[in-house]
Amino acid sequence: MSAGSDLDGDDGLAIDTALGALSRDALRAAEARMASDPVFRASVEEWQRLLAPLDEATAPVSPSPEVWSRIMSVIEPAPRVAAKPSIWSSLNLWRGLAGASTAVAAVTAILLIARPDTPAAPQLLVANLASEGGVSLITATYDASREAIILTPAGKTDDAGRTPELWVIEGDNPPRSLGTIDLASPESHAIPAERLKGLKPGSTLAISLEPKGGSKTGAPTGPVVATGKLTGI
Amino acid sequence: MSGSAMLVTLLDRAGAGDTAAFKNLYDATSAKLFGVILRILNERGEAEDVLQEVYTTVWRKAAEFDAARASPITWMATIARNRAIDRLRARGSRPTTALDAAADVPDTSLPADQLIDASDDARRLHAALDTLDARHAAAIRSTYFEGLTYEALAVREGVPVGTLKSWVRRGLLRMQGAMA
Repeated sequence: MSAGSDLDGDDGLAIDTALGALSRDALRAAEARMASDPVFRASVEEWQRLLAPLDEATAPVSPSPEVWSRIMSVIEPAPRVAAKPSIWSSLNLWRGLAGASTAVAAVTAILLIARPDTPAAPQLLVANLASEGGVSLITATYDASREAIILTPAGKTDDAGRTPELWVIEGDNPPRSLGTIDLASPESHAIPAERLKGLKPGSTLAISLEPKGGSKTGAPTGPVVATGKLTGI
Repeated sequence: MSGSAMLVTLLDRAGAGDTAAFKNLYDATSAKLFGVILRILNERGEAEDVLQEVYTTVWRKAAEFDAARASPITWMATIARNRAIDRLRARGSRPTTALDAAADVPDTSLPADQLIDASDDARRLHAALDTLDARHAAAIRSTYFEGLTYEALAVREGVPVGTLKSWVRRGLLRMQGAMA
């Protein structure tokens, strides 16, 4: 793309797409176009390559360590338990001692020879569900390795004859029901494992009071009596 | 093994399902990608959500990575920018961070003349940017680093959107010519 570029046509659109300077809908349309039009895609990628060195002017910032455990809980939702110590765990320790990122290259070089066994630690997530006023109602502990949630009552609420229902709010998604619970004896209600799959730190659990048998609409209809955020421990 | 070749190897192994290689890839690249995302979103919690999405995408798509078409870091940083911009657009009419409040977030930019370790590509790119009219260069930087739309930047600059678009597109074309 040199002299004679058609800036009002695809060449301009390729620049706009590489920069991301368009509306959300226009960018999605451009991405769909890239998937079906190799010429357009190559043009966008050429501009991406040209612009990419600008990122060197952006200072790196370390994310909090929690992000990695959240990623692992998504990509490996059912970790193997009771994994035996492996060469990888000793390498991990060694890398921890070495500390610096320069160690990564050395570790990698070794890994290329010794393909590691890669157990992931069982993950526990806990949420303290409390009322708006801060009164604890229940503690929820999610054990990813067992795909089970354990509910421990921490206080009492007047459910006024209605059925408490447990919800999870993941990102910008609407609340998803995990099922109805009994606040007096929460252990009597098993929540199906498939509903618990993929529960992540940072998601919010909430309890609403619903008509007998739970919400009929698939969304909370009654008052929300407690909420709490899941955090890894 | 060069840094880039190392990342190609790690991506390749991640594509084959090797979580340990993927962890190495994360350790080697997450701070850079997080810087890129944070600069666009200016909000740490939201930026960490996006970072998580980016790496789960990288994990899923690692096997599709084609070293002939992009360097690994460009490929990953492009995913990061696109996700951050998508999240920024999804805020929609939600009030964006006012300039006063934005003062809480550290400015993660580095002046071009302090790019001590800058690659040759980066030096040439900044040199080419510096040949443009200052307002045109600033418009290119704002769209790239802040993830602004032409419309938003045109309002900020007090110029018609067509004018701003022309500054950016023609400016980039000139830069490309200067670097060829």
